[in-house]
Amino acid sequence: MEFLGNTWNAFAAIFTVTPGWMTFGGWVAAGLTICLFSFLYKDNPFFKVAEHLYLGAGMGWLFQVYLFQTWKPKVFLPLMEGQYSVLIPTLLGLSLVTQFFPRISWISRYGFTFIMGYGSGLVIPLTISTDFLKQIGGTIAPFMVSEINSGNIMSLLNGTFVAFGFICVLFYFFFSVEHKGAVKKASNIGIYFLMLYFGAAFGNTVMGRFSLLYGRFDDLYKYSAPDYFYATHVVLGLLVAYFILDKLVLSRRGGGQEAH
Amino acid sequence: MKNALEKFLKIDRRLIFLALTVLLFAPIVRPLGLPNKNLGKDVVNTYNYIEALPERSFVMLSLDYDPATRPELHPQAVALVKHALRRNLRVGIFTLNAGATGMIEDIAARIPKDIAPDKVYGRDYVIMPFQPNPVAVMTQLGINLYEIYDKDRNGNPTKDMEVMKGVKSVKDMGLGICITGTAMLDYYVAYVADKYKFPMAGGVTAVSQPGYGPYLQTGQLKGLIGGMKGAADYETLINDLEKGTSGIDALSLAHVLVIVLILTSNIIMLVLKYL
Repeated sequence: MEFLGNTWNAFAAIFTVTPGWMTFGGWVAAGLTICLFSFLYKDNPFFKVAEHLYLGAGMGWLFQVYLFQTWKPKVFLPLMEGQYSVLIPTLLGLSLVTQFFPRISWISRYGFTFIMGYGSGLVIPLTISTDFLKQIGGTIAPFMVSEINSGNIMSLLNGTFVAFGFICVLFYFFFSVEHKGAVKKASNIGIYFLMLYFGAAFGNTVMGRFSLLYGRFDDLYKYSAPDYFYATHVVLGLLVAYFILDKLVLSRRGGGQEAH
Repeated sequence: MKNALEKFLKIDRRLIFLALTVLLFAPIVRPLGLPNKNLGKDVVNTYNYIEALPERSFVMLSLDYDPATRPELHPQAVALVKHALRRNLRVGIFTLNAGATGMIEDIAARIPKDIAPDKVYGRDYVIMPFQPNPVAVMTQLGINLYEIYDKDRNGNPTKDMEVMKGVKSVKDMGLGICITGTAMLDYYVAYVADKYKFPMAGGVTAVSQPGYGPYLQTGQLKGLIGGMKGAADYETLINDLEKGTSGIDALSLAHVLVIVLILTSNIIMLVLKYL
């Protein structure tokens, strides 16, 4: 065990964060970002490499976090200290892995049964309370006598608007009655309320996506500095050179597909 | 004329990508300093709630975002940590998202450097390790958090830390804020805020912001910071402009491009149809 620990420490020491590693990290980050963005021009092998690396690196990161921040302090160390009660949740968790072995996959049912049992017990009552009862209460609240007596006209108007929209949208999703006459009118108004929500959600989505793009550009700008040996410029230049070469020479062999 | 208009409607979309790239990149190289004058009501409510907390109250910051949403959520987290520590509140940084640990490292490195150099780890703030199974952790947070968080992320016992003095569960905390690009805030509302009558606020991506309206209306959330705009608003409120604010220039220009393209396309469509 000591030998393993020493070997690991020696291996980890290689990756101690130094300015050199930071520069290397900048090159990797700038390179992967530009390679992934290159798909906007057209599909290419660099995009594929970056795509696969993204998945692999992500899984690797999650694995080490689970290993060192959960498995080691919550399972390994307690077991070393003689706390054998942690074996119960550990075995239940490990039983899920038997899914990969058809002959003993039935063992996984014990783990799943536990998850389903406590999950349902926690989720059902709290969801009904949080997302159902409290929302109904919130819709009714502005019409309570105390609220009306407080004389807050705007609150009352807002409450009326919300309650009206709430009822109309409910009519739209009520399928047990044929939508005609007054029901159809209410249902149609419900569609307008839904469209208002979708419009707001789409506007925010556009803003959110631009923010993410801005974040990557901000990093690319950072990596274009002399500290990083102009990583962004170099990688971008190399990729542009590849596309020019591809257009001139390789396209005869049937080039890549454009992004859709 | 008609041919030119039809040609415009079939413009190569890569030209739009290029225009967008230029508009987003230009303010990074040369900031325009466009003002951010419309502060969101829910952001102001979050700020006011923290302002009203008594000194040395404990604030739980659950940072549950990963690199995919970093540009929107990381500036929010930095601004909130700054505000809480400058208000002399105690801060506990938690995470239930394995992808967030790298971003928390960044905040941990920045606190002694430029966020709050006078604050001491273990006395004014603490960083807890990642824990899986959010629902189980949240349930335990309301009973006895030391059953799960007996050690901090460095393996030091938490119970004896000055920062944790008098804090056994969320009932002993002043406020909880969950910053996430997932449904973690929904879980916090159901399993912590509602269950233990614990005041919660949130920081979310712009995409999911409209969906939290009902929780704000009922008071289940005390405030909400949405997207990069929310981060910029918060930076304005604490008078410490950073990444969120610098993004406003780029976002404003990009939005102008989208509006111009939508209007132009619709006008061309009308011209082609009726003239």
